[in-house]
Amino acid sequence: MTARGFSGSSSWLPRRRPSGRKALLATLMLLVAVASAFPLLWMVLSSLKTPAESMQVPPVWIPGTPSLDAYEKVSGVVNVGRSMWNSLVIASITTAGILLTSMMAGYAFAKYHFPAKSLLFSVLIATMFLPPIVTLIPLYRLVGSIGLNASLAGIIVPNLANAFGIFLMRQFIAGVPDDLIDAARMDGASELLILFKIVAPSVAPAIAALALFAFVYHWNSYLWPLTVLQGNADAYPIVISLSRLLSYNRGAVNTGLVMAGATLAVLPPLLLFVFLQRFFVDSIVGSAIKG
Amino acid sequence: MINRYRASAGIMLAPAVTLIGVFVLLPMLLTVWLSVQDWSTQTPFSSASFIGLDNFREIFGPTSVGRDFKGALANTAIYTALSVILILPLSVVFGLMVYQRDVAGGTALRTVLFATYMVPMIAVALVWSKLYSPSEGPLNQMLGLIGIGPQPWLSSPRSALLSIVFLNVWQQVGYFTVLAIAGLTQIPGSLYEAAKLDGANRREQFRFITLPLLRRTLLFSAVIAIINAVQVFEPVALITQGGPVGSTNVLTYHIRRVGIERAQGGLGSAMAVMLMLSLIVVVCALFALVNRKDDE
Repeated sequence: MTARGFSGSSSWLPRRRPSGRKALLATLMLLVAVASAFPLLWMVLSSLKTPAESMQVPPVWIPGTPSLDAYEKVSGVVNVGRSMWNSLVIASITTAGILLTSMMAGYAFAKYHFPAKSLLFSVLIATMFLPPIVTLIPLYRLVGSIGLNASLAGIIVPNLANAFGIFLMRQFIAGVPDDLIDAARMDGASELLILFKIVAPSVAPAIAALALFAFVYHWNSYLWPLTVLQGNADAYPIVISLSRLLSYNRGAVNTGLVMAGATLAVLPPLLLFVFLQRFFVDSIVGSAIKG
Repeated sequence: MINRYRASAGIMLAPAVTLIGVFVLLPMLLTVWLSVQDWSTQTPFSSASFIGLDNFREIFGPTSVGRDFKGALANTAIYTALSVILILPLSVVFGLMVYQRDVAGGTALRTVLFATYMVPMIAVALVWSKLYSPSEGPLNQMLGLIGIGPQPWLSSPRSALLSIVFLNVWQQVGYFTVLAIAGLTQIPGSLYEAAKLDGANRREQFRFITLPLLRRTLLFSAVIAIINAVQVFEPVALITQGGPVGSTNVLTYHIRRVGIERAQGGLGSAMAVMLMLSLIVVVCALFALVNRKDDE
Protein backbone atom coordinates (compact mmCIF):
# COMPACT_ATOMS: atom_id res chain seq x y z
CA MET A 1 0.00 0.00 0.00
CA THR A 2 2.86 2.37 0.68
CA ALA A 3 3.74 2.52 -2.99
CA ARG A 4 0.30 3.87 -3.85
CA GLY A 5 0.78 7.17 -2.08
CA PHE A 6 3.64 8.57 -4.12
CA SER A 7 2.84 11.79 -5.86
CA GLY A 8 4.48 11.08 -9.18
CA SER A 9 2.08 8.33 -10.09
CA SER A 10 0.02 10.33 -12.58
CA SER A 11 3.16 11.04 -14.50
CA TRP A 12 1.50 10.84 -17.89
CA LEU A 13 -0.12 14.27 -17.62
CA PRO A 14 1.84 17.31 -18.78
CA ARG A 15 3.29 19.50 -16.03
CA ARG A 16 1.00 22.44 -15.26
CA ARG A 17 -0.01 24.42 -12.25
CA PRO A 18 -1.05 21.72 -9.75
CA SER A 19 -4.65 22.93 -9.46
CA GLY A 20 -5.12 23.16 -13.24
CA ARG A 21 -3.69 19.67 -13.67
CA LYS A 22 -6.02 18.28 -11.05
CA ALA A 23 -9.06 19.92 -12.63
CA LEU A 24 -8.08 18.52 -16.04
CA LEU A 25 -7.56 15.06 -14.57
CA ALA A 26 -10.88 15.16 -12.71
CA THR A 27 -12.69 16.22 -15.90
CA LEU A 28 -11.09 13.43 -17.91
CA MET A 29 -11.99 10.86 -15.26
CA LEU A 30 -15.59 12.05 -15.24
CA LEU A 31 -15.75 11.87 -19.04
CA VAL A 32 -14.41 8.30 -19.05
CA ALA A 33 -16.90 7.24 -16.36
CA VAL A 34 -19.83 8.82 -18.23
CA ALA A 35 -18.80 7.24 -21.54
CA SER A 36 -18.48 3.88 -19.84
CA ALA A 37 -21.84 4.05 -18.07
CA PHE A 38 -23.79 5.69 -20.90
CA PRO A 39 -24.78 2.60 -22.96
CA LEU A 40 -26.22 0.89 -19.89
CA LEU A 41 -28.06 4.05 -18.81
CA TRP A 42 -29.44 4.33 -22.33
CA MET A 43 -30.59 0.72 -22.17
CA VAL A 44 -32.52 1.26 -18.92
CA LEU A 45 -33.99 4.60 -20.05
CA SER A 46 -35.08 3.10 -23.38
CA SER A 47 -36.80 0.22 -21.62
CA LEU A 48 -39.04 2.76 -19.86
CA LYS A 49 -40.08 4.62 -23.03
CA THR A 50 -43.36 4.24 -24.88
CA PRO A 51 -43.13 2.72 -28.39
CA ALA A 52 -43.77 6.17 -29.89
CA GLU A 53 -40.94 7.72 -27.89
CA SER A 54 -38.56 4.95 -29.00
CA MET A 55 -39.09 5.86 -32.64
CA GLN A 56 -38.83 9.62 -32.25
CA VAL A 57 -36.22 11.50 -34.32
CA PRO A 58 -34.10 13.05 -32.87
CA PRO A 59 -34.12 10.56 -30.00
CA VAL A 60 -35.71 11.38 -26.65
CA TRP A 61 -33.27 10.81 -23.78
CA ILE A 62 -35.56 10.82 -20.77
CA PRO A 63 -38.94 9.08 -21.13
CA GLY A 64 -41.80 11.58 -20.58
CA THR A 65 -43.96 9.15 -18.64
CA PRO A 66 -41.74 6.24 -17.58
CA SER A 67 -43.70 3.00 -17.85
CA LEU A 68 -43.00 -0.64 -17.19
CA ASP A 69 -45.23 -1.75 -20.10
CA ALA A 70 -42.28 -3.13 -22.03
CA TYR A 71 -41.37 -5.43 -19.12
CA GLU A 72 -44.91 -6.83 -19.08
CA LYS A 73 -45.04 -7.27 -22.85
CA VAL A 74 -41.66 -8.96 -23.14
CA SER A 75 -43.01 -11.97 -21.24
CA GLY A 76 -45.70 -12.36 -23.88
CA VAL A 77 -43.11 -12.67 -26.64
CA VAL A 78 -40.49 -14.96 -25.10
CA ASN A 79 -40.74 -17.06 -21.96
CA VAL A 80 -38.70 -14.81 -19.70
CA GLY A 81 -39.33 -16.74 -16.47
CA ARG A 82 -38.37 -20.06 -18.00
CA SER A 83 -35.27 -18.58 -19.68
CA MET A 84 -34.05 -16.89 -16.51
CA TRP A 85 -34.53 -20.18 -14.66
CA ASN A 86 -32.59 -22.06 -17.37
CA SER A 87 -29.77 -19.53 -17.14
CA LEU A 88 -29.74 -19.87 -13.37
CA VAL A 89 -29.59 -23.69 -13.60
CA ILE A 90 -26.85 -23.62 -16.25
CA ALA A 91 -24.70 -21.04 -14.44
CA SER A 92 -25.17 -22.55 -10.95
CA ILE A 93 -24.49 -26.19 -11.78
CA THR A 94 -21.58 -25.31 -14.07
CA THR A 95 -20.09 -23.12 -11.34
CA ALA A 96 -20.46 -25.82 -8.69
CA GLY A 97 -18.74 -28.31 -10.99
CA ILE A 98 -15.91 -25.93 -11.83
CA LEU A 99 -15.33 -25.18 -8.14
CA LEU A 100 -15.14 -28.86 -7.25
CA THR A 101 -12.90 -29.98 -10.13
CA SER A 102 -10.65 -26.89 -9.86
CA MET A 103 -10.13 -27.22 -6.12
CA MET A 104 -9.27 -30.91 -6.40
CA ALA A 105 -6.89 -30.51 -9.34
CA GLY A 106 -5.47 -27.26 -7.96
CA TYR A 107 -4.69 -29.03 -4.67
CA ALA A 108 -2.99 -31.91 -6.48
CA PHE A 109 -0.83 -29.54 -8.54
CA ALA A 110 0.03 -27.38 -5.54
CA LYS A 111 0.75 -30.02 -2.90
CA TYR A 112 1.54 -33.40 -4.50
CA HIS A 113 4.57 -34.69 -6.35
CA PHE A 114 3.83 -37.12 -9.15
CA PRO A 115 5.41 -38.09 -12.47
CA ALA A 116 4.99 -35.71 -15.43
CA LYS A 117 3.36 -33.13 -13.18
CA SER A 118 4.64 -30.05 -14.99
CA LEU A 119 3.93 -31.57 -18.41
CA LEU A 120 0.33 -32.32 -17.45
CA PHE A 121 -0.05 -28.85 -15.97
CA SER A 122 1.32 -27.21 -19.13
CA VAL A 123 -1.02 -29.19 -21.37
CA LEU A 124 -4.04 -28.27 -19.24
CA ILE A 125 -3.07 -24.60 -19.02
CA ALA A 126 -2.54 -24.43 -22.78
CA THR A 127 -6.26 -25.12 -23.24
CA MET A 128 -6.92 -21.82 -21.48
CA PHE A 129 -5.70 -20.08 -24.64
CA LEU A 130 -7.78 -22.14 -27.03
CA PRO A 131 -10.71 -20.18 -28.50
CA PRO A 132 -13.89 -22.29 -28.22
CA ILE A 133 -14.53 -22.12 -31.97
CA VAL A 134 -11.47 -24.33 -32.60
CA THR A 135 -13.18 -27.29 -30.94
CA LEU A 136 -16.81 -26.38 -31.68
CA ILE A 137 -17.47 -28.65 -34.67
CA PRO A 138 -16.21 -31.98 -33.26
CA LEU A 139 -17.54 -31.09 -29.79
CA TYR A 140 -20.99 -30.56 -31.25
CA ARG A 141 -20.86 -34.01 -32.86
CA LEU A 142 -19.32 -35.60 -29.76
CA VAL A 143 -21.98 -34.24 -27.39
CA GLY A 144 -24.64 -35.33 -29.88
CA SER A 145 -23.23 -38.86 -30.02
CA ILE A 146 -23.53 -39.25 -26.24
CA GLY A 147 -27.15 -38.12 -26.49
CA LEU A 148 -26.86 -34.73 -24.80
CA ASN A 149 -27.83 -32.51 -27.76
CA ALA A 150 -30.74 -30.08 -27.35
CA SER A 151 -30.68 -30.33 -23.55
CA LEU A 152 -29.47 -28.32 -20.58
CA ALA A 153 -27.09 -31.19 -19.77
CA GLY A 154 -25.49 -30.70 -23.18
CA ILE A 155 -24.72 -27.09 -22.26
CA ILE A 156 -23.47 -27.91 -18.78
CA VAL A 157 -21.45 -31.15 -18.92
CA PRO A 158 -18.62 -30.08 -21.29
CA ASN A 159 -17.98 -27.03 -19.08
CA LEU A 160 -17.69 -28.67 -15.67
CA ALA A 161 -13.91 -28.24 -15.59
CA ASN A 162 -11.66 -25.56 -17.00
CA ALA A 163 -8.00 -24.62 -17.01
CA PHE A 164 -8.45 -21.13 -15.60
CA GLY A 165 -10.04 -22.54 -12.43
CA ILE A 166 -7.25 -25.09 -11.96
CA PHE A 167 -4.64 -22.40 -12.51
CA LEU A 168 -6.26 -19.98 -10.06
CA MET A 169 -6.73 -22.64 -7.37
CA ARG A 170 -3.17 -23.94 -7.71
CA GLN A 171 -1.80 -20.38 -7.34
CA PHE A 172 -3.69 -19.77 -4.12
CA ILE A 173 -3.47 -23.26 -2.59
CA ALA A 174 0.32 -23.18 -3.06
CA GLY A 175 0.30 -20.40 -0.45
CA VAL A 176 -1.35 -22.59 2.21
CA PRO A 177 1.38 -23.70 4.69
CA ASP A 178 2.38 -27.39 4.37
CA ASP A 179 2.53 -27.60 8.18
CA LEU A 180 -1.22 -27.06 8.35
CA ILE A 181 -1.84 -29.95 5.96
CA ASP A 182 0.73 -32.25 7.60
CA ALA A 183 -0.80 -31.65 11.04
CA ALA A 184 -4.20 -32.74 9.74
CA ARG A 185 -2.62 -35.84 8.13
CA MET A 186 -1.07 -36.74 11.48
CA ASP A 187 -4.56 -36.61 12.95
CA GLY A 188 -5.61 -39.13 10.32
CA ALA A 189 -7.78 -36.84 8.20
CA SER A 190 -8.41 -38.04 4.65
CA GLU A 191 -7.11 -35.96 1.75
CA LEU A 192 -10.60 -34.90 0.65
CA LEU A 193 -11.44 -33.86 4.21
CA ILE A 194 -8.22 -31.84 4.39
CA LEU A 195 -9.09 -30.16 1.09
CA PHE A 196 -12.57 -29.12 2.19
CA LYS A 197 -12.01 -28.45 5.91
CA ILE A 198 -8.48 -27.05 6.00
CA VAL A 199 -7.43 -25.84 2.56
CA ALA A 200 -10.73 -24.45 1.24
CA PRO A 201 -11.35 -22.07 4.16
CA SER A 202 -7.83 -20.64 3.82
CA VAL A 203 -8.41 -19.79 0.15
CA ALA A 204 -12.06 -18.72 0.53
CA PRO A 205 -11.64 -15.35 -1.26
CA ALA A 206 -10.13 -17.07 -4.30
CA ILE A 207 -12.96 -19.61 -4.31
CA ALA A 208 -15.49 -16.77 -4.16
CA ALA A 209 -13.73 -15.05 -7.06
CA LEU A 210 -13.71 -18.20 -9.16
CA ALA A 211 -17.39 -18.81 -8.37
CA LEU A 212 -18.31 -15.32 -9.52
CA PHE A 213 -16.21 -15.53 -12.67
CA ALA A 214 -17.67 -18.89 -13.58
CA PHE A 215 -21.24 -17.84 -12.84
CA VAL A 216 -21.06 -14.64 -14.87
CA TYR A 217 -19.20 -16.32 -17.75
CA HIS A 218 -21.74 -19.11 -18.05
CA TRP A 219 -24.73 -16.82 -17.53
CA ASN A 220 -23.47 -14.74 -20.46
CA SER A 221 -22.28 -17.58 -22.68
CA TYR A 222 -23.99 -17.69 -26.09
CA LEU A 223 -22.04 -19.58 -28.78
CA TRP A 224 -22.13 -23.04 -27.20
CA PRO A 225 -25.78 -23.03 -25.98
CA LEU A 226 -26.90 -21.71 -29.38
CA THR A 227 -25.02 -24.50 -31.14
CA VAL A 228 -25.96 -27.40 -28.89
CA LEU A 229 -29.65 -26.54 -28.32
CA GLN A 230 -30.65 -26.75 -32.00
CA GLY A 231 -33.72 -24.59 -31.49
CA ASN A 232 -35.10 -26.36 -28.40
CA ALA A 233 -36.84 -23.25 -27.01
CA ASP A 234 -37.69 -24.92 -23.68
CA ALA A 235 -34.01 -25.00 -22.79
CA TYR A 236 -33.11 -21.47 -23.98
CA PRO A 237 -31.05 -19.45 -21.54
CA ILE A 238 -31.99 -15.78 -21.30
CA VAL A 239 -29.26 -14.60 -23.70
CA ILE A 240 -30.71 -16.76 -26.49
CA SER A 241 -34.27 -15.64 -25.74
CA LEU A 242 -32.96 -12.10 -25.93
CA SER A 243 -31.57 -12.71 -29.40
CA ARG A 244 -34.92 -14.23 -30.45
CA LEU A 245 -36.57 -11.04 -29.24
CA LEU A 246 -34.68 -9.07 -31.86
CA SER A 247 -35.67 -11.30 -34.74
CA TYR A 248 -39.28 -11.16 -33.60
CA ASN A 249 -38.84 -7.44 -33.33
CA ARG A 250 -37.67 -6.82 -36.89
CA GLY A 251 -41.24 -6.62 -38.14
CA ALA A 252 -42.77 -4.28 -35.61
CA VAL A 253 -39.99 -2.14 -34.27
CA ASN A 254 -40.34 -1.85 -30.53
CA THR A 255 -37.00 -0.90 -29.09
CA GLY A 256 -38.45 -0.67 -25.59
CA LEU A 257 -39.25 -4.36 -25.59
CA VAL A 258 -35.72 -5.35 -26.59
CA MET A 259 -34.20 -3.00 -24.03
CA ALA A 260 -36.43 -4.37 -21.27
CA GLY A 261 -35.27 -7.89 -22.15
CA ALA A 262 -31.65 -6.76 -22.21
CA THR A 263 -32.02 -5.07 -18.81
CA LEU A 264 -33.40 -8.28 -17.32
CA ALA A 265 -30.54 -10.34 -18.75
CA VAL A 266 -27.89 -7.90 -17.55
CA LEU A 267 -29.25 -7.51 -14.04
CA PRO A 268 -28.09 -10.77 -12.35
CA PRO A 269 -24.40 -10.62 -13.39
CA LEU A 270 -24.26 -6.88 -12.78
CA LEU A 271 -25.78 -7.14 -9.30
CA LEU A 272 -23.39 -9.94 -8.39
CA PHE A 273 -20.53 -7.74 -9.52
CA VAL A 274 -21.69 -4.67 -7.61
CA PHE A 275 -21.89 -6.58 -4.33
CA LEU A 276 -18.82 -8.75 -4.78
CA GLN A 277 -16.46 -6.78 -7.02
CA ARG A 278 -13.66 -6.89 -4.45
CA PHE A 279 -13.21 -10.62 -5.15
CA PHE A 280 -13.27 -10.14 -8.91
CA VAL A 281 -10.61 -7.49 -8.86
CA ASP A 282 -8.40 -9.21 -6.30
CA SER A 283 -8.35 -12.47 -8.21
CA ILE A 284 -7.53 -10.83 -11.54
CA VAL A 285 -4.71 -8.96 -9.86
CA GLY A 286 -3.62 -12.15 -8.09
CA SER A 287 -3.65 -14.32 -11.19
CA ALA A 288 -1.83 -11.70 -13.27
CA ILE A 289 0.93 -11.09 -10.77
CA LYS A 290 1.50 -14.65 -9.69
CA GLY A 291 1.24 -15.90 -13.26
CA MET B 1 3.66 -42.38 2.30
CA ILE B 2 4.66 -41.32 -1.20
CA ASN B 3 2.58 -44.04 -2.81
CA ARG B 4 -0.44 -43.10 -0.79
CA TYR B 5 -0.28 -39.53 -2.08
CA ARG B 6 0.34 -40.71 -5.60
CA ALA B 7 -3.03 -42.50 -5.41
CA SER B 8 -4.59 -39.38 -3.91
CA ALA B 9 -3.16 -37.30 -6.74
CA GLY B 10 -4.87 -39.60 -9.21
CA ILE B 11 -8.22 -39.20 -7.46
CA MET B 12 -7.86 -35.43 -7.17
CA LEU B 13 -6.89 -35.03 -10.82
CA ALA B 14 -9.30 -37.54 -12.36
CA PRO B 15 -12.44 -35.36 -12.68
CA ALA B 16 -10.73 -32.30 -14.16
CA VAL B 17 -8.36 -34.26 -16.40
CA THR B 18 -11.13 -36.51 -17.69
CA LEU B 19 -13.49 -33.61 -18.44
CA ILE B 20 -10.85 -31.42 -20.09
CA GLY B 21 -9.46 -34.46 -21.91
CA VAL B 22 -12.83 -35.51 -23.34
CA PHE B 23 -14.36 -32.09 -24.01
CA VAL B 24 -11.34 -29.96 -24.93
CA LEU B 25 -8.24 -32.00 -25.84
CA LEU B 26 -10.04 -34.76 -27.73
CA PRO B 27 -12.12 -32.27 -29.81
CA MET B 28 -8.93 -30.34 -30.52
CA LEU B 29 -7.23 -33.45 -31.89
CA LEU B 30 -10.41 -34.30 -33.79
CA THR B 31 -10.37 -30.83 -35.37
CA VAL B 32 -6.85 -31.45 -36.65
CA TRP B 33 -7.81 -34.93 -37.88
CA LEU B 34 -11.04 -33.73 -39.53
CA SER B 35 -9.19 -30.97 -41.35
CA VAL B 36 -7.69 -33.61 -43.68
CA GLN B 37 -10.96 -35.53 -44.07
CA ASP B 38 -14.02 -35.21 -46.25
CA TRP B 39 -16.71 -35.20 -43.56
CA SER B 40 -20.24 -33.93 -43.07
CA THR B 41 -21.05 -32.74 -39.55
CA GLN B 42 -24.39 -34.57 -39.77
CA THR B 43 -22.70 -37.97 -40.05
CA PRO B 44 -20.66 -39.99 -37.51
CA PHE B 45 -16.88 -39.48 -37.34
CA SER B 46 -16.48 -42.96 -38.85
CA SER B 47 -17.89 -41.77 -42.17
CA ALA B 48 -14.95 -39.40 -42.71
CA SER B 49 -12.63 -40.20 -45.61
CA PHE B 50 -9.04 -39.00 -45.94
CA ILE B 51 -8.46 -36.40 -48.66
CA GLY B 52 -5.03 -35.04 -47.74
CA LEU B 53 -4.72 -31.27 -47.93
CA ASP B 54 -7.71 -30.72 -50.26
CA ASN B 55 -9.64 -28.79 -47.62
CA PHE B 56 -6.71 -26.41 -47.17
CA ARG B 57 -6.35 -26.02 -50.94
CA GLU B 58 -10.01 -25.18 -51.16
CA ILE B 59 -10.11 -22.61 -48.36
CA PHE B 60 -7.12 -20.82 -49.90
CA GLY B 61 -8.33 -21.38 -53.46
CA PRO B 62 -9.99 -19.06 -56.01
CA THR B 63 -13.58 -20.31 -55.53
CA SER B 64 -16.19 -18.64 -53.31
CA VAL B 65 -15.16 -20.94 -50.42
CA GLY B 66 -11.63 -19.55 -50.64
CA ARG B 67 -12.75 -15.95 -51.09
CA ASP B 68 -15.07 -16.10 -48.08
CA PHE B 69 -12.45 -17.72 -45.84
CA LYS B 70 -9.67 -15.36 -46.85
CA GLY B 71 -12.05 -12.46 -46.30
CA ALA B 72 -12.95 -13.76 -42.84
CA LEU B 73 -9.28 -14.28 -41.99
CA ALA B 74 -8.46 -10.72 -43.07
CA ASN B 75 -11.48 -9.26 -41.22
CA THR B 76 -10.49 -11.13 -38.06
CA ALA B 77 -6.89 -9.92 -38.34
CA ILE B 78 -8.03 -6.31 -38.78
CA TYR B 79 -10.59 -6.58 -35.99
CA THR B 80 -8.04 -8.14 -33.63
CA ALA B 81 -5.30 -5.65 -34.44
CA LEU B 82 -7.62 -2.65 -34.01
CA SER B 83 -8.99 -4.03 -30.73
CA VAL B 84 -5.51 -4.54 -29.28
CA ILE B 85 -4.23 -1.18 -30.56
CA LEU B 86 -7.14 0.60 -28.87
CA ILE B 87 -7.42 -1.49 -25.70
CA LEU B 88 -3.77 -1.51 -24.57
CA PRO B 89 -3.08 2.26 -24.50
CA LEU B 90 -6.53 2.98 -23.07
CA SER B 91 -6.00 0.39 -20.31
CA VAL B 92 -2.74 2.09 -19.29
CA VAL B 93 -4.28 5.58 -19.31
CA PHE B 94 -7.36 4.44 -17.39
CA GLY B 95 -5.17 2.37 -15.06
CA LEU B 96 -3.14 5.48 -14.20
CA MET B 97 -6.38 7.40 -13.63
CA VAL B 98 -7.52 4.78 -11.12
CA TYR B 99 -4.09 4.37 -9.54
CA GLN B 100 -3.17 8.02 -9.01
CA ARG B 101 -3.93 9.64 -5.66
CA ASP B 102 -4.03 13.34 -6.71
CA VAL B 103 -7.76 13.29 -7.49
CA ALA B 104 -10.31 11.22 -5.59
CA GLY B 105 -12.68 8.81 -7.33
CA GLY B 106 -10.23 6.32 -8.80
CA THR B 107 -11.91 3.31 -7.25
CA ALA B 108 -15.36 4.48 -8.37
CA LEU B 109 -13.99 4.85 -11.91
CA ARG B 110 -12.61 1.31 -11.75
CA THR B 111 -16.03 0.01 -10.71
CA VAL B 112 -17.80 1.76 -13.60
CA LEU B 113 -15.18 0.61 -16.14
CA PHE B 114 -15.14 -3.00 -14.96
CA ALA B 115 -18.94 -3.27 -14.74
CA THR B 116 -19.22 -3.34 -18.55
CA TYR B 117 -17.18 -6.55 -18.57
CA MET B 118 -20.06 -8.28 -16.72
CA VAL B 119 -22.63 -7.46 -19.40
CA PRO B 120 -23.53 -10.36 -21.72
CA MET B 121 -22.18 -9.69 -25.23
CA ILE B 122 -25.69 -10.27 -26.61
CA ALA B 123 -27.00 -7.34 -24.56
CA VAL B 124 -23.98 -5.24 -25.57
CA ALA B 125 -24.70 -5.96 -29.23
CA LEU B 126 -28.40 -5.12 -28.86
CA VAL B 127 -27.81 -1.87 -27.00
CA TRP B 128 -25.05 -0.68 -29.32
CA SER B 129 -27.09 -1.50 -32.41
CA LYS B 130 -29.62 1.04 -31.05
CA LEU B 131 -26.93 3.57 -30.10
CA TYR B 132 -25.61 3.31 -33.68
CA SER B 133 -29.05 3.63 -35.23
CA PRO B 134 -28.55 6.36 -37.90
CA SER B 135 -31.71 8.36 -37.16
CA GLU B 136 -33.07 7.27 -33.76
CA GLY B 137 -29.67 6.69 -32.15
CA PRO B 138 -28.05 9.09 -29.71
CA LEU B 139 -24.53 8.78 -31.17
CA ASN B 140 -25.29 10.60 -34.42
CA GLN B 141 -27.36 13.09 -32.44
CA MET B 142 -24.37 13.88 -30.21
CA LEU B 143 -22.01 14.06 -33.20
CA GLY B 144 -24.45 16.55 -34.74
CA LEU B 145 -24.10 18.77 -31.69
CA ILE B 146 -20.36 19.13 -32.31
CA GLY B 147 -20.86 19.67 -36.02
CA ILE B 148 -20.10 16.18 -37.37
CA GLY B 149 -22.57 14.78 -39.90
CA PRO B 150 -24.44 11.49 -39.41
CA GLN B 151 -22.30 8.35 -39.70
CA PRO B 152 -23.59 5.10 -41.24
CA TRP B 153 -21.91 2.96 -38.51
CA LEU B 154 -23.04 -0.66 -38.91
CA SER B 155 -24.80 -0.13 -42.23
CA SER B 156 -21.75 0.71 -44.35
CA PRO B 157 -19.05 -1.80 -45.36
CA ARG B 158 -16.47 0.91 -44.65
CA SER B 159 -17.41 1.40 -41.00
CA ALA B 160 -19.26 -1.74 -39.84
CA LEU B 161 -16.21 -3.69 -38.63
CA LEU B 162 -14.81 -0.63 -36.88
CA SER B 163 -18.17 -0.08 -35.18
CA ILE B 164 -17.99 -3.61 -33.77
CA VAL B 165 -14.41 -2.95 -32.63
CA PHE B 166 -15.70 0.07 -30.67
CA LEU B 167 -18.35 -1.90 -28.81
CA ASN B 168 -15.79 -4.61 -28.08
CA VAL B 169 -13.35 -2.04 -26.68
CA TRP B 170 -16.13 -0.51 -24.59
CA GLN B 171 -16.99 -3.88 -23.09
CA GLN B 172 -13.46 -5.15 -22.47
CA VAL B 173 -11.32 -2.16 -21.56
CA GLY B 174 -12.26 -2.33 -17.86
CA TYR B 175 -10.81 -5.82 -17.50
CA PHE B 176 -7.52 -4.72 -19.06
CA THR B 177 -7.52 -1.60 -16.90
CA VAL B 178 -7.53 -3.84 -13.83
CA LEU B 179 -4.62 -5.83 -15.32
CA ALA B 180 -2.75 -2.56 -15.91
CA ILE B 181 -3.40 -1.50 -12.30
CA ALA B 182 -1.98 -4.85 -11.16
CA GLY B 183 1.15 -4.07 -13.18
CA LEU B 184 1.40 -0.53 -11.82
CA THR B 185 1.28 -1.75 -8.20
CA GLN B 186 4.40 -3.82 -8.95
CA ILE B 187 6.52 -0.77 -9.80
CA PRO B 188 8.44 0.36 -6.70
CA GLY B 189 7.67 3.95 -5.71
CA SER B 190 11.36 4.46 -4.90
CA LEU B 191 12.15 4.41 -8.63
CA TYR B 192 10.02 7.50 -9.14
CA GLU B 193 11.60 9.21 -6.13
CA ALA B 194 15.08 8.53 -7.50
CA ALA B 195 14.06 9.76 -10.95
CA LYS B 196 12.66 12.95 -9.46
CA LEU B 197 15.93 13.57 -7.61
CA ASP B 198 17.69 13.17 -10.94
CA GLY B 199 15.41 15.85 -12.36
CA ALA B 200 13.20 13.64 -14.54
CA ASN B 201 9.87 15.24 -15.39
CA ARG B 202 6.57 13.36 -15.45
CA ARG B 203 6.80 12.58 -19.12
CA GLU B 204 10.31 11.14 -18.70
CA GLN B 205 9.24 9.16 -15.66
CA PHE B 206 6.44 7.61 -17.69
CA ARG B 207 8.68 6.84 -20.64
CA PHE B 208 11.69 5.47 -18.78
CA ILE B 209 10.08 3.86 -15.71
CA THR B 210 6.35 3.18 -16.07
CA LEU B 211 6.27 1.94 -19.65
CA PRO B 212 9.34 -0.36 -19.56
CA LEU B 213 8.23 -1.92 -16.27
CA LEU B 214 4.73 -2.49 -17.64
CA ARG B 215 6.08 -4.47 -20.58
CA ARG B 216 5.34 -7.91 -19.08
CA THR B 217 1.83 -6.82 -18.09
CA LEU B 218 1.19 -5.43 -21.56
CA LEU B 219 2.41 -8.66 -23.16
CA PHE B 220 -0.02 -10.66 -21.01
CA SER B 221 -2.80 -8.18 -21.83
CA ALA B 222 -2.04 -8.35 -25.55
CA VAL B 223 -2.22 -12.15 -25.58
CA ILE B 224 -5.55 -12.18 -23.71
CA ALA B 225 -6.93 -9.36 -25.89
CA ILE B 226 -6.02 -11.29 -29.04
CA ILE B 227 -7.60 -14.53 -27.80
CA ASN B 228 -10.74 -12.60 -26.80
CA ALA B 229 -10.91 -10.69 -30.08
CA VAL B 230 -10.90 -13.77 -32.33
CA GLN B 231 -13.95 -15.00 -30.40
CA VAL B 232 -16.16 -12.12 -31.55
CA PHE B 233 -19.46 -13.70 -32.50
CA GLU B 234 -22.61 -12.18 -30.97
CA PRO B 235 -22.65 -8.74 -32.66
CA VAL B 236 -22.04 -10.39 -36.03
CA ALA B 237 -24.54 -13.22 -35.56
CA LEU B 238 -27.19 -10.92 -34.18
CA ILE B 239 -26.82 -7.61 -36.00
CA THR B 240 -24.81 -7.81 -39.23
CA GLN B 241 -24.81 -11.51 -40.24
CA GLY B 242 -21.35 -10.91 -41.65
CA GLY B 243 -22.45 -8.00 -43.84
CA PRO B 244 -22.72 -5.48 -45.32
CA VAL B 245 -20.98 -7.15 -48.29
CA GLY B 246 -18.96 -9.49 -46.08
CA SER B 247 -17.24 -6.67 -44.20
CA THR B 248 -17.95 -8.14 -40.76
CA ASN B 249 -17.67 -11.82 -41.67
CA VAL B 250 -15.21 -12.88 -38.95
CA LEU B 251 -13.75 -16.35 -38.36
CA THR B 252 -15.79 -17.53 -35.37
CA TYR B 253 -18.98 -16.64 -37.24
CA HIS B 254 -17.76 -18.04 -40.55
CA ILE B 255 -16.41 -21.33 -39.14
CA ARG B 256 -19.70 -21.94 -37.31
CA ARG B 257 -21.70 -21.18 -40.44
CA VAL B 258 -19.63 -23.53 -42.59
CA GLY B 259 -19.02 -26.29 -40.05
CA ILE B 260 -22.36 -26.37 -38.21
CA GLU B 261 -25.05 -24.68 -40.30
CA ARG B 262 -23.82 -25.96 -43.67
CA ALA B 263 -22.48 -29.13 -41.97
CA GLN B 264 -19.22 -28.99 -43.98
CA GLY B 265 -17.25 -30.33 -41.01
CA GLY B 266 -14.01 -31.02 -42.87
CA LEU B 267 -13.82 -27.54 -44.41
CA GLY B 268 -14.78 -25.88 -41.13
CA SER B 269 -12.12 -27.87 -39.27
CA ALA B 270 -9.45 -26.84 -41.77
CA MET B 271 -10.43 -23.21 -41.10
CA ALA B 272 -10.27 -23.82 -37.35
CA VAL B 273 -6.78 -25.31 -37.73
CA MET B 274 -5.68 -22.22 -39.65
CA LEU B 275 -7.06 -20.03 -36.87
CA MET B 276 -5.16 -22.05 -34.27
CA LEU B 277 -1.91 -21.88 -36.27
CA SER B 278 -2.29 -18.13 -36.82
CA LEU B 279 -2.77 -17.60 -33.09
CA ILE B 280 0.31 -19.67 -32.25
CA VAL B 281 2.41 -17.69 -34.73
CA VAL B 282 1.17 -14.31 -33.49
CA VAL B 283 1.60 -15.16 -29.80
CA CYS B 284 5.11 -16.59 -30.35
CA ALA B 285 6.06 -13.48 -32.33
CA LEU B 286 4.83 -11.27 -29.47
CA PHE B 287 6.87 -13.21 -26.93
CA ALA B 288 9.95 -13.09 -29.15
CA LEU B 289 9.55 -9.34 -29.57
CA VAL B 290 9.28 -8.72 -25.83
CA ASN B 291 12.15 -11.07 -24.99
CA ARG B 292 14.40 -9.40 -27.53
CA LYS B 293 13.69 -6.05 -25.91
CA ASP B 294 14.53 -7.61 -22.55
CA ASP B 295 17.97 -8.54 -23.84
CA GLU B 296 18.77 -5.05 -25.03
